[in-house]
Amino acid sequence: MEKKTIKIEEYLVEEEPYYLEVDKEKALFEAAYRNRIPVLLKGPTGCGKTRFMEYMSWRFKRPLITVSCHDDLTVSDLVGRYLVQGGETVWVDGPITRAVKVGGFCYLDEIVEARKDTTVVIHPLADHRRILPIEKRGEMLHAAPEFLLVISYNPGYQSVLKDLKQSTRQRFLALEFTYPGRELETEIIKHESEIDAPTAGRLVSFGDKTRNLVSAGLSEGASTRLLIHAAKLIHSGVDPKIACEVAISGTLTDDHEMIRALSEIIQSIF
Amino acid sequence: MPDTSQPNSEHLMEEIIKNMRLDFFENEEIIAVIDAIDSFDRHLRQKVLALCFALSHASSSLVSNTLKRISTAAQKLEPEEMERWFDDAADILESQGIDPFIDFVAKVPEDGLEPFMEPERLRLREVTGLLETYLMGISGLDLTIGTDSEPYTDTDTVYLPPVLSRSRVPQENLLLYVLMAAHKWGQIACGTLMVDLHEAPPEGPGTSGPEDDEAGPRGIEALFRQFPERAFAVDLFSLLEAFMLDSFLRKELPGLMSKAEGLKAEIFSERPRLEDLSEKSAFAEGIYHYYLSGNSKGTAPEALAKMRDKILSLRGATDPNEIVGVLFAAYDAAKELKGDYKPQRPVFFLGTIKPERVSRRLEAKREEAMKKLEGVITKLMNMPDFEPRRHRSDGPAVRAKPVRKDEEYLAIKGKIVALDEEINSRIKELGGVPGGVLVKGSDVESGSTYVTLKDLTDEEDEPQAKGAGVKYDEWDYKRGDYKRQWCSLFEVEIQPGEEPFVELVRKRHGGYIAALRKRFEIIRTVPKMLRRQKDGDCIDIDAAVEAFSDMRAGLSPEEALFVRTDRQERNIAVLFLIDMSGSTKGWINDAEKEALVLMCEALEALGDRYAIYGFSGMSRTRCEYYKIKSFDEPYLDSVKGRIAGIAPKDYTRMGAPIRHSASILNIVEAKTKLLITLSDGKPEDWGAYKGDYGIEDTRKALIEARERGIHPFCITIDKEAGSYLSHMYGETNYIVIDEIRKLPNRITEIYRRLTI
Repeated sequence: MEKKTIKIEEYLVEEEPYYLEVDKEKALFEAAYRNRIPVLLKGPTGCGKTRFMEYMSWRFKRPLITVSCHDDLTVSDLVGRYLVQGGETVWVDGPITRAVKVGGFCYLDEIVEARKDTTVVIHPLADHRRILPIEKRGEMLHAAPEFLLVISYNPGYQSVLKDLKQSTRQRFLALEFTYPGRELETEIIKHESEIDAPTAGRLVSFGDKTRNLVSAGLSEGASTRLLIHAAKLIHSGVDPKIACEVAISGTLTDDHEMIRALSEIIQSIF
Repeated sequence: MPDTSQPNSEHLMEEIIKNMRLDFFENEEIIAVIDAIDSFDRHLRQKVLALCFALSHASSSLVSNTLKRISTAAQKLEPEEMERWFDDAADILESQGIDPFIDFVAKVPEDGLEPFMEPERLRLREVTGLLETYLMGISGLDLTIGTDSEPYTDTDTVYLPPVLSRSRVPQENLLLYVLMAAHKWGQIACGTLMVDLHEAPPEGPGTSGPEDDEAGPRGIEALFRQFPERAFAVDLFSLLEAFMLDSFLRKELPGLMSKAEGLKAEIFSERPRLEDLSEKSAFAEGIYHYYLSGNSKGTAPEALAKMRDKILSLRGATDPNEIVGVLFAAYDAAKELKGDYKPQRPVFFLGTIKPERVSRRLEAKREEAMKKLEGVITKLMNMPDFEPRRHRSDGPAVRAKPVRKDEEYLAIKGKIVALDEEINSRIKELGGVPGGVLVKGSDVESGSTYVTLKDLTDEEDEPQAKGAGVKYDEWDYKRGDYKRQWCSLFEVEIQPGEEPFVELVRKRHGGYIAALRKRFEIIRTVPKMLRRQKDGDCIDIDAAVEAFSDMRAGLSPEEALFVRTDRQERNIAVLFLIDMSGSTKGWINDAEKEALVLMCEALEALGDRYAIYGFSGMSRTRCEYYKIKSFDEPYLDSVKGRIAGIAPKDYTRMGAPIRHSASILNIVEAKTKLLITLSDGKPEDWGAYKGDYGIEDTRKALIEARERGIHPFCITIDKEAGSYLSHMYGETNYIVIDEIRKLPNRITEIYRRLTI
């Protein structure tokens, strides 16, 4: 039971994550990294943004520090705070501070979910200054040369209350992610779930068809991740139709009519 | 066939004829009645005769009217259901007299038949929505479902029979519908209905050259016109096509097609044996057999047997022209066969092909495009002064540019006019323009210069007599500057509508509205925990610990140490701006109104502040802005009356109304301000406010609104929404609703998504 927990800045991706390149994003990321330009990953949910980050951090052997943003995230949560320990106060670094110190990749997932006043702390870190002001300690921290800030967001959510401010977005290089093409996606599903090519092909075909319905009532089509879930169920012996319904249709929508239409499509494909 | 078992049936017929003659009916009308009676099956015919005989005593005109209703009923009902309906009708006539009978029969086209329908029958209208979503899913195309006795498609609409009752299990009938719809999609996706005549094999009888195109029909209709026995050729084609569709669908929808296998065997057992048919009919029937089982039932005519391999090879076809090739061969092979061709019932899920419908649809599309183009050209031709305008002091001059060789231009009245992209692509699609005014750049004298359409059609720049109303600037993208005080906008009262539109909608959507209110109330009442507040009900432990630590570290602690639950966290003001231009007439207007009613219900439940305004007008001097509900006004009868009174007016000049809405929103106190516009296409007004000009001005107005802290969101109802939308509205700030009936339900969902 020992060595179960490690410090977040020590988290290194040791085995090569499986990642199939869709459109030169590896080379672009590398160029951004070499030039110390922070990166914005745009794209629908489940299309491989996080996996891509794992891959890149493995590739450059940098620790990967991921923060999932939410609307209660405060600046202290990111930068650090004083804690009382045995009658004394101790400063504890937040994830972003740790990443800055060790020169890791700091990945702020779903950045739009964070409060606006929190988002702005990354500004000085995301331009040529590359510094992190730690207000409470009255310090400025210069980022290690290997440090890279990466944020992700999904432009598909149309909520007017959640948008990335221009002043934030204009500090980044934007890599757009979409679902991989049919062949690539089949390959990915095959690899991730070990199912046979024809079944993977049918899953991809179903995924494609759900994406056709985006303007007709679905807010998003099936992500590659969902397709992989279904594929894994199929691999463990679940009937493909049931796998698609529980892993895909049911998660995409609650609308009864839409679920029925999706299940007709499933019946037609499998 | 004369009916010998019922000796008095001929007698009844004679009596009816006699009575009709006495009522001075024309021979043709009498023959029509006889034909109608004879069209029923034996059992029903006898009953119908007796009924008609009774009616003809009262009045002969009743006979023909009643017969029409009976035929309709017979088409819609299954035989046993028909019998029950008919017996009821006869009972009513006997026991209650002629008037109740007429009432009963008159209800046939409406819902009079429903009580007689078996519950296990599946009616198309119950599953239309489902099938449309299904089709959209599998095809990515927006196909509508229509009703007709046999399944076919005109490439835009998929027609399916109104009722299916082949199986006793509704789920299986649904499968049949799906199967039919999938085959029709297959036709569209494989392009078999779009076969191009020019590529047809030359051995076709009397192949016409492409030069005939102008006069005759095109595409698949032209193909079938080449065959003397057209019906035979059409059936052959749809049969041969089935082989290609089969393998296509097997690849795309393997699950569906494996279910179809069982059906095929079932259908195969129902098909007639080839020996029982004339040689020619057997030829076609044999292909059915090949399709269903790979082999024929009975001996196939030699001509067919020889072609078997060729026909089966169509399974691997990828190009629809291969079908055309085999069609010509098969048609030739069947030429010498004896007997008439009597069409057998087609395999029901394959449906039929209606080449004339396909051609008509394509023709209509082409004509629409042509009309638009003609409009532009006519306008050009009729323009009195063809000189581009002279240099202006306040803007860049219109410069004549040298003609490029590889581009096409219009040559009108000695001037060379360049076309914008949209028209150019349309001309390419059409392959020419009327009047022969299209010239290639290389054919024009070198050194010639051209002007653009915009230069010529631009509105006169003279300031007009200033009216009252609020003045708004308008963006002129060519000048890269505003035209100052250019539009006059008037706030106009809307005449309340007479009918209780709102109440009707509320009644019709009662259940939906209840669910809607509930869904919106949930958003409203979700208590939101606000952390790190300066005051509140409870201490924020995290903040307190942090403050304590800060204090110990010698820092001044944070003061915001409380948690507060907030129910009224929403602070949103939304203004709906409704397009009331003439083009919304009919369906769109109704749907807009319906959408507003639902939206009001939802917003009342939610408690967001909202206002509704409409806009239309004509020219820049008369932009009209209709108040339907202001922010301060409660949702009362006066507002409901005005919603009912929303009616299509004139044009769509969008810039000024958007600017006016922005200034209304500007003085409203709210954290989030939303401007939702609802329109049906491109902005367009009398004069130069169209095309890029209108788009750019609208875009600019929306950008201005955004700069004032307003979130604009645009809902467009446009079947052919063009690529201009994302430019005009901004990538994520609009949505296209391609089907008007979906608007009322969609708009509330959009609003919910926008604001949570």
